[in-house]
Amino acid sequence: MAGEPAKRQKREEYKKSLNADESNAALPKKKFYRQRAHANPFSDHSLAYPKSPSDMDWASHYPAYAVKQPQEKDEAESHDSEKAIAITQPVEIADIGCGFGGLLFALAPRFPTSLILGMEIRTSVTEYVQEKVRALRAQNSATSGFQNAACIRANTMKFLPNFFAKGQLAKIFLCFPDPHFKQRKHKARIVSYTLNSEYAYVLKPGGIVYTITDVEDLHKWMVEHLEKHPSFERVREEEQEKDECVEIMRTETEEGKKVERNKGMKYVALFRRLEDPAWP
Amino acid sequence: MNMALPFQCLKAYRRSVKGKEETLLIGASGSRLVVVESSSGQGSTWPAEEEASKETEAPAEDEERPGKRIKLTPTNTNDSNSNKSNFSCLALSNDQQYIVAITGEDKCVRVFHIDSDYRIHQLSQRPMARRPCAITLTSDDSTILCADKFGDVYALPLLMSPDDGVQDQEVPPTTSTAEQPETPVEFKPSASVLTVHSGRNRKVLEEQIRQASLGQRKSKEPLKFKHELLLGHVSMLTDIVYANVNGRGYIVTSDRDEHVRVSRAPPQAHIIEGFCHGHEEFVNRLCLVSSGRLVSGGGDAQLFVWDWLNYRLLTTIDVRDAVLRFLKSQAELSSIVPANEEGFKVAVTGIWNVPRSDAQRDEILVTCEGVPAIFHFGFDEAGKKHEQAIPLNGNAIDVTVIQQSPDSCVAVASVDYVHKPGSLKDPREQKQDDQAIPTFTSGPDGQWQADSTLDTAAGFLTKQLSTAVGAAGLAGEVDLKAIQGLLYGTANLRKQPGTDPDQVA
Repeated sequence: MAGEPAKRQKREEYKKSLNADESNAALPKKKFYRQRAHANPFSDHSLAYPKSPSDMDWASHYPAYAVKQPQEKDEAESHDSEKAIAITQPVEIADIGCGFGGLLFALAPRFPTSLILGMEIRTSVTEYVQEKVRALRAQNSATSGFQNAACIRANTMKFLPNFFAKGQLAKIFLCFPDPHFKQRKHKARIVSYTLNSEYAYVLKPGGIVYTITDVEDLHKWMVEHLEKHPSFERVREEEQEKDECVEIMRTETEEGKKVERNKGMKYVALFRRLEDPAWP
Repeated sequence: MNMALPFQCLKAYRRSVKGKEETLLIGASGSRLVVVESSSGQGSTWPAEEEASKETEAPAEDEERPGKRIKLTPTNTNDSNSNKSNFSCLALSNDQQYIVAITGEDKCVRVFHIDSDYRIHQLSQRPMARRPCAITLTSDDSTILCADKFGDVYALPLLMSPDDGVQDQEVPPTTSTAEQPETPVEFKPSASVLTVHSGRNRKVLEEQIRQASLGQRKSKEPLKFKHELLLGHVSMLTDIVYANVNGRGYIVTSDRDEHVRVSRAPPQAHIIEGFCHGHEEFVNRLCLVSSGRLVSGGGDAQLFVWDWLNYRLLTTIDVRDAVLRFLKSQAELSSIVPANEEGFKVAVTGIWNVPRSDAQRDEILVTCEGVPAIFHFGFDEAGKKHEQAIPLNGNAIDVTVIQQSPDSCVAVASVDYVHKPGSLKDPREQKQDDQAIPTFTSGPDGQWQADSTLDTAAGFLTKQLSTAVGAAGLAGEVDLKAIQGLLYGTANLRKQPGTDPDQVA
């Protein structure tokens, strides 16, 4: 394609210039990270994902929360290549399909004591969010702001249980997901009866799944499939509107702003994770 | 050349008919089932001979990759005894009354009964929406659990009620929860022009509107029999196991993305209890062994032994090293071993429990794709205690184990006599189907040796093989590629590096 090499070259040069200065606090420019809006969740992306939640190197994503290794450790005993990967508290909020991170960066200051993770399948978009995390941390080093926000590239539809243990999360956000209009692509939707079992698995009882979309059809689909799932109940509207996350979700996501400009509709639905019933 | 398909599935079991104990051996060669009783050598085939010969006249189109469109009916709905699709899986009900089978190309779940005269009767055939790849039964035999290539597990009643499957019957909405809500209501586009979406989505939307205006919207017919979606992975399912522990039912499923998942059994199959994390390559087989532990294997160099109720890895068994040792010990096979042994990979195709009276010591038989041997491992919680490679004169295809007495077991194998031992594609110069079904026995010492007690039965099966040319859905000429496709495919589950569309883009 004409123009492609120039574009790639520009992106590479730009990213190199970012890497040159670790303390660079300038925010990354979105135009160097744009990527097509769709990814096939079924294909074998060469993803990095941990074998299990305890194998995940969380410390590199939340360095301020890294578990300090005892210094006086016997040299002969310690495996020198083994670095600490654990953090002092688990991730509690997951923004699945976080895109350019609008919600992530809005939530971080509002939930300063919770660790928040953006998960995004597109490489470039993930890089953008990671750069932005780095820049915001540098800008806010005095207050330790944004140390609780991070972003990783992941296919959550396949590997959510590789990252999170049973009952670990308090909130899951599914904001403006790919609607996958085609009938035969419906299994690729981020909400389905069978996938809801995995959301239920990583959520603690009482935890909330937040959904928002501008596509009415997808909204109905998500409501139908989550309501049908015995592990979830829909949160009533009064309660929904009292939840501070709902307003953030409406106004702070990139898609939310776009819809606002186009004067489109935004459909919100929240679902609470119920306790598992006793064995039959 | 007169050559038929080896038996791609094999099942042996003991049953009691009119107070008489007997051992039955069932094999599936291509699209055909053969059953034989071991002592009398009496048996039969399905479909019956005349139908089989009728089938040969039809062109063998079934070997082609089936179209994307869902075939709702098998090639001949009216003739319930017709079948051109190849069997891919056999399971036996716990009461040994029924054989549940999968035929691949027509995506059917079939239930058979073998009567006291060893005739095979098909009781039902149910075409699924997606190709099933593994089946098992609940411990009460009421329900078939059917896992498919698309990652979903469905529950089907083993026996269809008389009014089930009737053409006009409406499937109650609760039983088809997973089906897309294909409402016959007037078409409404799924998005408005206000909706923010990409160019691609806009094109899809335009196409939807155009199709609707043409009135061409093809809607998938729902399945016309009772089926219920239990659970699903966003991955290809490879195996499924049902377990009953202290009155609680569990479903264990494995997938191509390294997962071993433990769910509750119906009616709570939507609850995931946990995952046995540890595999780094695809998982292909699960096996519950006598002690209650779970063994899993696939593309990894080790088998994993699990305290699966606590998601705890107990020990691993180096299956790759066992295969390497075996290949190097055989003069004619050592050439297969690559110079760089590190790069040598195995794909586990089967794990079978060897029933023993000693519940602390577990024993399994294991086969790997394209390896002409069966591997026997004895182990306990601490690790491997015993290993034996049982050489075969061709690649191991399937194995079945029966307990003859408290301390003695018989293993029957199906061997690929079409390809050279150790090869997935090179044909042999001469057919050697005289030992297509070797049998081994193992006494209390755990050592396996060749056995002749089932020779009559094996001979009967082998005879059915050599006369089965054409009946396998293959036209007279032996189509090596088709045979290869039917017998081998496990190694293809391995992920290839550098296939990330995101990186290429």
